[in-house]
Amino acid sequence: MEVRNELHLALDGDEPRRVAEMFEEMAVEHDVPVDIVFKFQLALDELLTNVVSYAFDQDTSDAAIKVTLEMKNDRIVAMIEDNGRPFNPLLDAPDPDLGLSAEDRTIGGLGIHLTKAFVDTLSYERTEGWNRLSLVQPLTAHSEENA
Amino acid sequence: MNVETSYSGTTAVATVSGRVDSANAKDFDQALRAIIDKGVSGLVVDCSGLRYMSSAGLRVLLIAIRKTNAAGGGLALCQVPDHIREVLEVSGFVRLTKVFDTAADAQASFAG
Repeated sequence: MEVRNELHLALDGDEPRRVAEMFEEMAVEHDVPVDIVFKFQLALDELLTNVVSYAFDQDTSDAAIKVTLEMKNDRIVAMIEDNGRPFNPLLDAPDPDLGLSAEDRTIGGLGIHLTKAFVDTLSYERTEGWNRLSLVQPLTAHSEENA
Repeated sequence: MNVETSYSGTTAVATVSGRVDSANAKDFDQALRAIIDKGVSGLVVDCSGLRYMSSAGLRVLLIAIRKTNAAGGGLALCQVPDHIREVLEVSGFVRLTKVFDTAADAQASFAG
């Protein structure tokens, strides 16, 4: 069975968790392997935390954040849309230097770094005042491994 | 999220359970700071009950690593679930902190 849910988020620091947990529930029901559930959930959490924290200025009356989650037979698809300032996390976030000592490390960019490592396909576009980020994770390869 | 701590001289084992994300990383940070402020230089974070941790949790660990390093000890992790271990590996944190199987092994690494 294929399932599609659309969520409208408030500009609130607790919202990424609400989405992550809703995704987890959907994915478990859909029998998605636990490893993929964790990684995709983390990606959603990291990307939404960025949006909620940085996409909007003080005047947030027009702020809109929308997340679409789709469970298909062979893949999981998510779309994150917001009408905040243009920001492409795939290009605009700094790459962390993983070779530095604890004293010299900065934490910036780590969420995006994990997201890129954990999700198969990420893409960004800016259209008509909206940031649109899509996340796609195939499920077939994994089920073949388990077969 | 919950943190339970047992103290032994200048070392302590903090057992964190549940979920650490950007919504509650501040609480995790306060819990670890409070432990270090009690004079703990060797801090073991037992992750056996840790269900989820995002980069917000890594930020907290990084601060605790720096503080315990500066105090002449360090931070060690133990009983890390596989998916959290992967977060540590991908983020390069396995180079910043040691990961042990048991709390006893982790605590012993601070002895002498």
